[in-house]
Amino acid sequence: MKLLPKIGGVVLTLFGLAGQLYAAPMGFKNSWMIMGDFSKTYQEFSFNYATTANDAIGFSASAMQTDDYSKRQQNAEVVYTRKVARWNLPNAQANIWFIGGLGSTTGSSFGGSKAMASPGLQVDYETTRFYSMASARVYAAQGATSNITTARLGASFYEVDYDQPQPWVVIEARRMTFVSNQYEFTPMLRVIHNRYFVEAGANLSGQLRFNFMYNY
Amino acid sequence: MKLLNFVFAIALMGLSQASLASMKVTVNGMVCSFCAQGIEKSLLKMNETKAVLVDLKNKVVVVEAKEGKTLNEKEVRQEIIDSGYDVVNVETIPQTVAQFRDQMKGKK
Repeated sequence: MKLLPKIGGVVLTLFGLAGQLYAAPMGFKNSWMIMGDFSKTYQEFSFNYATTANDAIGFSASAMQTDDYSKRQQNAEVVYTRKVARWNLPNAQANIWFIGGLGSTTGSSFGGSKAMASPGLQVDYETTRFYSMASARVYAAQGATSNITTARLGASFYEVDYDQPQPWVVIEARRMTFVSNQYEFTPMLRVIHNRYFVEAGANLSGQLRFNFMYNY
Repeated sequence: MKLLNFVFAIALMGLSQASLASMKVTVNGMVCSFCAQGIEKSLLKMNETKAVLVDLKNKVVVVEAKEGKTLNEKEVRQEIIDSGYDVVNVETIPQTVAQFRDQMKGKK
């Protein structure tokens, strides 16, 4: 058990698993979480409700498009989130999450809409000053399957009391096969305060990125 | 009669002290404000709770009872566990949440 932080840190640094970009993809029991992720190539708005401390059900609407606007795809899905495992350590927390969606997709390269399933996993490890996360999620539809893999590392400038705003620097590597087989790297500034967090940055091509999360 | 009054007064003081006592809970896994919120919200739902303080730096949660009410340690533990965290230790302290907060600020 004492090895977990080290193993978790290494695994998460090298690998990662879920389309969700946040430290935790759901809030506490009986809470709502609203999330948004906006960039030139990917836009998502989603919300979920935590029915237990381990389960949440919600809805997500997302759109992906290539840099040159030649291809576009839109997804609408009901999403179930499950906390598969959590390790509570004296100064850290590690989690494994399952995130699975069922819905439909429409796209510029095919007519009508197709049924879509989007299973994914996320693992994360964080302390009050350090954060790492990795995720992988497949968006499977007949003839229109793509996936998103993401890895993130973050560090905060200083510890705070929980009711004070905390700034973080986060670097993200993300590959969306619908857009490109290349990873995009995006440094961002994150501020967490009480019920919300916001992130803003730009990838190395200068494309702007904005994320937010609100939990109540 | 004087002796009886004295014993009664002492008993009342003891009762008052017990009712006003807070619980200081050491918790594993609390790393962010979202964790803190969940714990705070669930503990505040308890009828006996007057105030809650989550101290992320020291990994402790302080729960203060309403006047005349007594906190149930089992329930406090269970609320924190149900929020997704592990309880390491529970102790009763004489301070209120406000006093504990001031004490922590004084240490900085």
